Amino acid sequence: MASTAKDARDLFSAMRNAYSKTPTRLKVIDVYILYGLITAFVQVVYMAMVGTFPFNAFLSGVLSCIGTSVLGVCLRMQVNPANKEFKDLPPERAFADFVLCNLVLHLVIMNFLG
Amino acid sequence: MKSGCQSNIFKLDEALREVDGYLLVTEYLYPNMSMRESCDSRRHVQADRGYELDVKLATDPKLTLQSYGSYHYDALILFAPKVESLGGNLDAAAISDFVDSGHDLILAADETTSDTIREIASDCGVDFDEFEKAVVIDHVKYAITPLGDDHSLIAADNLIDSTVILGSQGIKEPILYRGLGHIVNPTSELGIKVLSASPSAYSGRVGAEITDLPNVSGASMALVSVVQARNNARIMISGSLELFSNQFFESSVQQSGSDDKFEKSGNQQFAVELTKWTLHERGHLKTSNVHHHKIGETNEPAMYRIADNARYSLGIQEWNGKDWQPYQADDVQLQFYMMSPYVLKTLSHDGKGLYFTEFQVPDVYGVFQFKVEYNRLGYTTLNLAKQIPVRPFRHDEYERFIPAAFPYYGASFSTMIAFFVFGIVFLYHK
Repeated sequence: MASTAKDARDLFSAMRNAYSKTPTRLKVIDVYILYGLITAFVQVVYMAMVGTFPFNAFLSGVLSCIGTSVLGVCLRMQVNPANKEFKDLPPERAFADFVLCNLVLHLVIMNFLG
Repeated sequence: MKSGCQSNIFKLDEALREVDGYLLVTEYLYPNMSMRESCDSRRHVQADRGYELDVKLATDPKLTLQSYGSYHYDALILFAPKVESLGGNLDAAAISDFVDSGHDLILAADETTSDTIREIASDCGVDFDEFEKAVVIDHVKYAITPLGDDHSLIAADNLIDSTVILGSQGIKEPILYRGLGHIVNPTSELGIKVLSASPSAYSGRVGAEITDLPNVSGASMALVSVVQARNNARIMISGSLELFSNQFFESSVQQSGSDDKFEKSGNQQFAVELTKWTLHERGHLKTSNVHHHKIGETNEPAMYRIADNARYSLGIQEWNGKDWQPYQADDVQLQFYMMSPYVLKTLSHDGKGLYFTEFQVPDVYGVFQFKVEYNRLGYTTLNLAKQIPVRPFRHDEYERFIPAAFPYYGASFSTMIAFFVFGIVFLYHK
């Protein structure tokens, strides 16, 4: 009881310390991803309240948020210098991919929104 | 022998009944001439109402109801209970066909009723007591009249409570009756007991000792009953031929056990009113001008859309013996029906026979019917159905921007803006 609570607190402070060492760039991406997920969650709660009436609008709203969040995750993976997998990928190329995919995503969303 | 009185063309239902050049005729069949005289006044009652009567003997070899597929007569009155085999080409099957084709029948029996007449009656749904020589006997409510007071002459007053069948004035005097009792199947929807026996009546032999339980007795025994077939042909079956005789029409009557003495029995009024009903002078309805359309338009669309406002109207008229009068009733209902009624509305009417209602098409698509099913005691049944499909909204019949979806619109646009801002921040951040 007391030891598990103390362990949890130790865990949280260790995580916070480690996180504060990440580069600012990645933190910006994290904020962006978090914003997308929160917006998606708010829409799901709204749909649970009023029902699925214009289902296509619901889908396009939720998918646009989830989609940009996923693309943000990909960007973060590719831009992170600590990530060995993408060592040879220039970050500009990653950003360009990010922009292009987002453009396609938002085009589709606009069409599906009705 | 035709009556010399006015002979109108009796237009019951233009499509069925009008036969060019022929006039409506009713046909009496008597077993012998003496019976004919005693039923004279009945005949005159008929003639005064504008019918043409063709009176024939039951065993006349030239008897025929139809030739080359078309019927000569609109109704048949069969006052020949004793006759074993009818003349000409008439028999139980021919009379059944006559009724099946929509024509009316009036049948009377008495204690000498033959099997042929019983068979005709049971084809119509009415079963006479088969016990030989049995008549209706009532030791409590028999009639005291100048004609005698044996207990097989009864004074009946258990009439059905219906102004359509028995007229608006009601019959106050008891009705003299001597003859057989019969049973109408109580689960039948088509047979109606007009004059029932009193609870103390039973069917048995006069003067004989009762050894077995009577087959028919009590209030479930009918004395006069009518059957309205599904094709709206009407059949009246009476167990007493003497009910229609001059003697009974003019006799005074007093029920045993009661002090009221009536100068004239109710027989004549009863016979007149009931034959009026049987020959469709009352309670015969027809519908016309069935229309439905969207409110605001006048033409009938081929298809409705859900949430349309529709209006349905029809005209109902009742024949009163001379012409069509508007029918007044507050209980005609319209169903908007697909396997079960989605909308059920009582039609309002304007007093001139036009019935209408307005309603909103329900939120279900499919093939519906405008159904009017009207089934009331003594009136012809109305069964109308008009099919109409109902479609859902087309994709461009919704609002351009659906208010319920504004959060989703907002979320999508905010994501796009967030993406744009993020791009700038990401690129130009040191």
